[in-house]
Amino acid sequence: MSKRKQPDSKVPAPSMTEQEKVLYNLIQSKQDLGIWSRDVNREARLPNKVVAKSLESLLSRGLIKAVAHFQSKSRKHFLASEFEPSPEITGGKWYDQGSLDTEFVDFLKGQCLKHIRNLKIATVDTVADAVRRSRVLKVDYSSEDIGEIVGALVLDNDVIEMRSNGLGEFAAVPAGGACYKCRDATKEPRVGAMASIPCGVCPEVARCTPGGVVSPATCEYYSKWLDF
Amino acid sequence: MVSPPSQYGIKYAVHIVSSHFGDLVAKVCECLLRRGALTHQNIVRFTEMSASQVKNCLLVLIQQNCVQAFSVEHPGGVGDASRRSTEYMALFDNIIHRMRLPKFVAVVSQELDKECVELFQGLLQHGRLTLEKMIDRAKSGREDCTAQDATRETLFKLVNARFVEHCPDPEPHLSPPSEEGAPARKRTKSSKVAAEPETLEERVLAAAAPMEAKRFLIMFDTATEEDGQKMGDSFLGVGEKRKSDALESDKELGSEGDRVLWRVNVQEFMHRFRHKACVENVRERLDGGAAVALSAMLETSRSMEKKVKTDISVPLSINTIYEEVMKGEAGRAMTLDHLRASLVMLGCERGADESYKIDLKNIIEQAQNEEVESVVLKKYGQNAYRIFRLLSKANRLLETDKISDTAFVDKKETPKILFRLWKDQFLHMEKVVVTGPRQTQFLLWKVNKSTLWPHVLDEMYHAALNLNLRVAYELEKENELLNLPIEKRSGPLEKRYNRIRTVRLLLESSLMKLDDAIMLFHNF
Repeated sequence: MSKRKQPDSKVPAPSMTEQEKVLYNLIQSKQDLGIWSRDVNREARLPNKVVAKSLESLLSRGLIKAVAHFQSKSRKHFLASEFEPSPEITGGKWYDQGSLDTEFVDFLKGQCLKHIRNLKIATVDTVADAVRRSRVLKVDYSSEDIGEIVGALVLDNDVIEMRSNGLGEFAAVPAGGACYKCRDATKEPRVGAMASIPCGVCPEVARCTPGGVVSPATCEYYSKWLDF
Repeated sequence: MVSPPSQYGIKYAVHIVSSHFGDLVAKVCECLLRRGALTHQNIVRFTEMSASQVKNCLLVLIQQNCVQAFSVEHPGGVGDASRRSTEYMALFDNIIHRMRLPKFVAVVSQELDKECVELFQGLLQHGRLTLEKMIDRAKSGREDCTAQDATRETLFKLVNARFVEHCPDPEPHLSPPSEEGAPARKRTKSSKVAAEPETLEERVLAAAAPMEAKRFLIMFDTATEEDGQKMGDSFLGVGEKRKSDALESDKELGSEGDRVLWRVNVQEFMHRFRHKACVENVRERLDGGAAVALSAMLETSRSMEKKVKTDISVPLSINTIYEEVMKGEAGRAMTLDHLRASLVMLGCERGADESYKIDLKNIIEQAQNEEVESVVLKKYGQNAYRIFRLLSKANRLLETDKISDTAFVDKKETPKILFRLWKDQFLHMEKVVVTGPRQTQFLLWKVNKSTLWPHVLDEMYHAALNLNLRVAYELEKENELLNLPIEKRSGPLEKRYNRIRTVRLLLESSLMKLDDAIMLFHNF
């Protein structure tokens, strides 16, 4: 469902020229996806100069807004001002000015990790509660949002996901419920056998053959590895 | 189902045979690995070696359990009788096992005495030996019968521990598949009717394998005592009850007791290594307590497991597990509640009367996942690591934006990472075109383990071959230095000597660690 602010019924409908009305209706019909500036000319079927002038007028009166697409900052989408731009244009709630807000996401990951460590066995809800109570965030984030961050911690292998059996240390979590536990931070993650040797991560391995141009005997990665 | 060896699997196997037995033997071996089972005549034709050379090479390979002979019936033409021919099949797995013989010795050293280790090493060196030959080796000039008794006792210990077994039938007859309706007499109890059709190798090995009742049966020959003393009744070992109507006659067995051929029972070691891999994975992924609990479960249930690749462990009661836990130093401080918590963390399924069993197949898969994820992390970075883990866990096609959102990787960067992983065969990609007012193309991605895992295994064989070749190259380069007497090594020479020692240690230990990963991806 598109996010849409309710228009104020006490404000009289703004007066627009016929061309402006055509453009405004077109833009409004696109709701939270808006319309790419390049497509406006094509779909409105108005002369370019008229389109440009009308858009400028609508922008200056605050009836529409221009939002940069996350894929390319030069690509502008026009939206009616009452709509919040869709994640398809912005990239999503974790995006800022077209790029993933890595700094903020890493900060939030660190907070969640700290709370999971303190809780020993945590659920998404208990972590979300702990984050809210800590008041480190200016904006409220839902359990769903925190769940996405915890999911990323699982993918980073900082946190293990398990199923509760409802007993012992899992007593607070209903049996079968998803819960999380920190990986032992004092242990260095084990490097796999292939990752430990040059061949395992070699970009030339497909070309490598005994006696070939790229071979184990002449391999520079090996020479570097064995250069103590 | 046994898959045919991969490209680098064959190269690696040929390298092993060449290093151990020379180029001629390796040539015969390579011919069989690439072309499948062949008659002697065809081997001669393809290798362009002489008949006697091929014969000698085959004898070496058979002696060392790297080739199995079998006979097949060929139907004759109209009016002609069918004819039987002998074919030879290379045993790829047994060739690769040759790289892990030191690991086998290490297991025997931990569990049995020095004499057992020496006899075991003799078996490894010679491939297969009769008790008579073992006694001859042990005697080494001694004239009394103590070597005889000691050797029998040592063999008994090795067989009892399942480290040694009867050799298979040297040339079983293979009936055409349509005639193998009833279980063959020589099939082992553990073999079962496979859902997929058996490969030729599986059929040959099944036909050659001794009956389970005979596999670890020791019957010592009392009639050939050199000192003329009768030892008394023949001796049955390994807990097998003798069923006279199920076995061949005493006379027949007794007279051949000392001439039964014995060899290393590779299956026992693979079984133990599989368990060890599970325990180590759990120790790394969870904690020491979980490792102790799993180790106790597997130690108790190993003898009850019917086959090496058991998917689910045998159910054990909490008390049985706890009894085993307390035997070890690491487990003595563990309380029953701590054990219960560890079993839950392991994901054990709890049954009636508080019995527990565990999905070993799942642990093996997790260990395999971690090995590949480690490569992705080192080669492509943290973002690619998250993406790969997401797709590996999802086990289904996911769209690019969905991957980007869930893995928290910038939408502009995600396609680049996905393409790199796809180009290097880590990912499978599909295009979906949606037609509507505008045609939109979506790219879907997936980790396809059925194609990726064999590719990873082939890369491992490639890497193992490379490690071997680099060791050989480094040692060859410093050959003169290595042969120099110690008193002539000083200053820079000493430094170079120390370097080559460290190089050798690093390369060989890396090879042993890689071999563990090869076993993991071969699923033992």
